[in-house]
Amino acid sequence: MKALLYKELKLVVNPLFYAVALLSALILIPQWLYFIALLYFCFMSAPNLFTLSKSYKEVYFSATMPVPRRDMVKARVLTVCALEVLQILVAAVCVALKLTVMPTPNYIFMDGNLAFLGLAFVMFGLFNLVMLPMFYKTAYKIGVPVILATAVALVFAAAVELGIVYDVWFTRIFDGMQTTGAHIATLLAGAAVFAGLNIAAYRLSAARFEKVDL
Amino acid sequence: MNILEVESLRKIYPAFTLKDVSFTLEHGYIMGFIGSNGAGKTTTLKSIMGLAVKDGGTVRVFGEDFKENELKIKQKIGFLMGETDCFPKHRLGQITDVVRRFYPGWNAKAYQAYLKRFELDENKRVDELSSGMRVKYSLTLALSHNAELLILDEPTSGLDPVARDDLLELFQELIEGGDMSILFSTHITSDLEKCADFITYIKNGAILESCSEADLIAKYRVVKGTREQLDALRAGVVSCRLNAFGFQAMMETAKIPGGAGLMVEAPTLEDIMVYHERKGDETHESAAV
Repeated sequence: MKALLYKELKLVVNPLFYAVALLSALILIPQWLYFIALLYFCFMSAPNLFTLSKSYKEVYFSATMPVPRRDMVKARVLTVCALEVLQILVAAVCVALKLTVMPTPNYIFMDGNLAFLGLAFVMFGLFNLVMLPMFYKTAYKIGVPVILATAVALVFAAAVELGIVYDVWFTRIFDGMQTTGAHIATLLAGAAVFAGLNIAAYRLSAARFEKVDL
Repeated sequence: MNILEVESLRKIYPAFTLKDVSFTLEHGYIMGFIGSNGAGKTTTLKSIMGLAVKDGGTVRVFGEDFKENELKIKQKIGFLMGETDCFPKHRLGQITDVVRRFYPGWNAKAYQAYLKRFELDENKRVDELSSGMRVKYSLTLALSHNAELLILDEPTSGLDPVARDDLLELFQELIEGGDMSILFSTHITSDLEKCADFITYIKNGAILESCSEADLIAKYRVVKGTREQLDALRAGVVSCRLNAFGFQAMMETAKIPGGAGLMVEAPTLEDIMVYHERKGDETHESAAV
């Protein structure tokens, strides 16, 4: 497993993907849709990661190594998760800056707060749950899985933002620049949902990949 | 001792079926796996290695079931499919740095020795290497993790005659040590005449022959004669070609009638393959017996 993760890090993950994580800093823009800053992962990193991997024939390379197929999937799921967590970590630093240095609320859309980070975890969890099992049905077709998964992430983000705009209950629970117990609970619950969805994505993907002819 | 035993291997694709493929490779020998394009060579090798999910049959390597001991067995196998073109934009050193981590028994000294011998520069990118050098780099990786069985899918197909000859000499050298066995597929039959001990011939997804090269050559004869003589030879002819002077056919040696006044000569592997491939061929139907 260590060797597979090392392979992902050294041969598959392009350093530019780390730069995409820096785009989370767009959260610092006032009065903006902050989910967009995180969605750059879905727009850029995810499709490029799998397309590069395909052009490198990485699946074939790994399949000839003495490792189980399940571990190949696990290494990729962990890589995707690590890049998403990095995207959220950069966002977290920006959220901390907003909460402490520039606590002006977002008058229309969701504030950049801890609840936002929790909901971002859920968004990425849903993205992975759709994309990964779809991709591992063939282990080479990435276009439709990424488009559908991005659509699901966009719908989730739009639903949250619409809730903030039109629903008072939603605003009371998730919005605001003062950190509340609900915000902390949302962050923790979001992280737990992210873990759960990724475990499900891994299991489904691994089961499908076992049946793929390479 | 059999190092590789394939029994009733079956793989069903919508447009192609591998039909109960069975053969064995003894320890310390080179087996050539021949067949025309699309005959099932790659599918067989992929099914052996678990890259294609087989629909039936068993594969035993080093006396153990491949499926149950896959990771352990793969530690001792070097597998190469065509030209190595994974990670084309990466430097050899970067790839080696990753590959060595998969093999606890990695031999860094052997790796350096083979790099030197094959004049491979670790700073070069994969796509800067010629086809022959790519194959040599793959072999370097396989030999550096002490592989005891090399399974190579058409390693010589993209090489010029000199590079091919070099590679075949290397194969022979590798098995001289006694610790290595090689199964390699090819449609270039002259490669096998230079180095193979055993031949397995696959046609339309089914094994036609699997025996020593000498036995295979001895089993058939190319026969030439007049059209009148051909009528008496219906049984035992694999296929034949008519020409202005008469006919040229390949027959099973045991079925050649004595004293028929025919010109009889030993076939090459290419003859055996070509005559078998033409068996039942519509374009030769009029000429066939």
